[in-house]
Amino acid sequence: MLEVNRISKRFTTSDGVIPAVDDISFAIAAGEFVSIIGPSGCGKSTLFNIIGGLVGDYEGQVKVSGDIIHGTHPAIGMVFQEESTFPWRTVLDNVAFPLEISGLATSERLERAQHFVSMVGLEGFERRYPAELSGGMRQRVALARTLASEPRILLMDEPFAALDEQTRLLLGDRVLQIQQQLRQTTLLITHNLTEAVQLSDRVLVMTYRPGKLKREIDIDLPHPRDSEVVSSDAFGRYVAEIWHDLREEASRGIRDDENRVLRARSDR
Amino acid sequence: MNQAHAAAATRSVTMVRTVIIVATLAAWEALALSGLLFRDVVPSLQAICSAVFRLLTAADFYFNLGVTAAEIGVALIIGGAGGLAVGILLGANRFLSRAYESLVYYLGPTPKIIFFPVMIMWFGVGSGSKIAMGAISCFFPIAISAASGIRQIDRVLIRVGLSFRASTWQMATKIYLPAMRGPLVNGMRLGLGVAIIGTLLAQTKLSNRGLGYLIIQAYSTFDMPRMYALIIVLFMLAVAANALIGRLARSRNS
Amino acid sequence: MTRARFANSAMAARAFGIGSVVVALGVVELLIRAGLINRFIVPLPSEIAAAVPRIIAEENVLHRFWQTTQEILWASLMLAGIGIALGALLYRFRVLRLACETWVAAMAAAPIVLMYPLFLVIFGRSATTIVMMGFAAGLAPVILKTVEGLSGTRKVLIDVARSFRLNRSQQFWKVLLPAALPSVFVGLKLGLIFAMINIVGVEFLINFGGLGQLINELAERYDLPGTYGAICFVVAVSIVFFDLTERIERWLRPIQ
Repeated sequence: MLEVNRISKRFTTSDGVIPAVDDISFAIAAGEFVSIIGPSGCGKSTLFNIIGGLVGDYEGQVKVSGDIIHGTHPAIGMVFQEESTFPWRTVLDNVAFPLEISGLATSERLERAQHFVSMVGLEGFERRYPAELSGGMRQRVALARTLASEPRILLMDEPFAALDEQTRLLLGDRVLQIQQQLRQTTLLITHNLTEAVQLSDRVLVMTYRPGKLKREIDIDLPHPRDSEVVSSDAFGRYVAEIWHDLREEASRGIRDDENRVLRARSDR
Repeated sequence: MNQAHAAAATRSVTMVRTVIIVATLAAWEALALSGLLFRDVVPSLQAICSAVFRLLTAADFYFNLGVTAAEIGVALIIGGAGGLAVGILLGANRFLSRAYESLVYYLGPTPKIIFFPVMIMWFGVGSGSKIAMGAISCFFPIAISAASGIRQIDRVLIRVGLSFRASTWQMATKIYLPAMRGPLVNGMRLGLGVAIIGTLLAQTKLSNRGLGYLIIQAYSTFDMPRMYALIIVLFMLAVAANALIGRLARSRNS
Repeated sequence: MTRARFANSAMAARAFGIGSVVVALGVVELLIRAGLINRFIVPLPSEIAAAVPRIIAEENVLHRFWQTTQEILWASLMLAGIGIALGALLYRFRVLRLACETWVAAMAAAPIVLMYPLFLVIFGRSATTIVMMGFAAGLAPVILKTVEGLSGTRKVLIDVARSFRLNRSQQFWKVLLPAALPSVFVGLKLGLIFAMINIVGVEFLINFGGLGQLINELAERYDLPGTYGAICFVVAVSIVFFDLTERIERWLRPIQ
């Protein structure tokens, strides 16, 4: 369904050329839920933006159903890490936004939007503004908005990063339910171990700068799953296994940050 | 962005600025030469330049500038001290704030120049009424800024000061003043701007000296180049004074 | 402190404020009657109060009010149309913004209203001069706040727009402008207040038009209570106008 073929991307900064993503390849089958996990600064978000078509000028190819794509593609829907609801639109109007862009008649698009609002469990909040909602509710609005454009591939960049652990677990349940219901091909970018194991069929581990794929782990936990799964032994083993790979990368990232701070001081 | 990029950006900005300035001046000169507009409404650039030169080399300009500067200075001292005192009272005392702050807040953005006839009756046709206009004008922004400046102080800073058993004087000079310097400087800037306007407008209405008087005199003798020259010089002085206060604020900041 | 007592004390403070102003006026009245203040400089507050209905009836105040309102309306239409468009232009072309934004900021600091003799020469002693003066005085904040609002749009919102494949004009109308509106409204509010102040001021200075001219005329006639009364009336009008712009701004401002 989604194929990423030898993608590399370099950024030019005042410190010189920094390779953000280095020769990454993987494929996701239709209906599969895959997570990419990596330490902060590993280029996960760059990869997200490349696949979503928001960042150009990279090497390699992104293919959807075998066709190479350039720039944004209607089959791909993106959910962003940051607060991305439109503060000037109500919940319902936010969710109806992509339908409005594609030129659907008002009555029909509100009806369709309502369907997706219910899907993320926000009935009764249709007329509220984002400022009146909690962070978790706003992220559900953003999710519903992306789902309303009915993308074949759902791309999410740490959508729950700003939420507390309990909300995150419960939202994970919701996402899995929806994913099972729509059989949606999903790529989740995350730095959270529990989240990756809880949701995915497969986890890809990335290295710290330059971001390469280090390892691939199939998560063989039974479906349908819910957040209770975190207490099972198998879950714990998967988390430990991924952490074993990730630990080294994360410590390299921290050392790098420390060196950067030291250098910034001596520059001045 | 790397350095080559930044340099290219600076170059194109300089170029755009040059193009805009040159185009404006060229259009101006073309308009002046065309004679389309009533005579002298758009004087030629050369006429304006020589008027600026004549203005800046004549002693009477400096005399009138001095008069205006003195009037604005006194207005700032009176209006500023009053505004500061009232602002601090309103900011520090909740009762007074509730009783009078909306009065100050709502009187702030009213046209001050309409008080000029009253100021003439109270303070005469000379400098007194001009100073009064400047002082009334700058009182409001300074009072409002000082009040909000006091309220904006992070409460924890005050608790820190108290925990170190600072005296009242130390609290005022080491905590309150530094913490509210930003809003205060901003109030001074706004105050200076409206004090200039208040004083000079009063001079254009009724006066026999000062820059405002020179402008209205150029108008009544229809000396357009001189009027342009006066306005240009005045704007430059006003903008420079404003920038100077901003600079003072920043230099003490670091 | 309970809520009710809190509200009570706020009310009491308000009442005290208003009461003290009334008492001060009473004291002035007494001082004038006692001859301690020259009544040919400060007329009795009671005379001023009596003069207000008189000037409203005799000096065609309703018509003058409408004249000034029209001037303000024209200036505000120009501010909204031209000011926001210029702001959008500066945002759209980064080079233009880098080149001109400091100029616009300097313009905001310049005493624009002192150009009124120049406007007099160009547009004559007419309503056009007054409207143009109001427009020129209010332009800078509208431009600056529009640019600020547009460029303050969070990047992720623009990314959302791009991920839904919006074209440039859709991006502007559906995302950038709505995101910038709160800031644009603040700019318009400031611009309108500056315009109003300068319109009334120039009416007074050039002795033409609505409410500002009324004060000038009464002062030239040495109608002391009338002058004071008219000043009070104009101050009241501008307070209502100021309050109105604040309310409209708050009402138009979406929940963000």
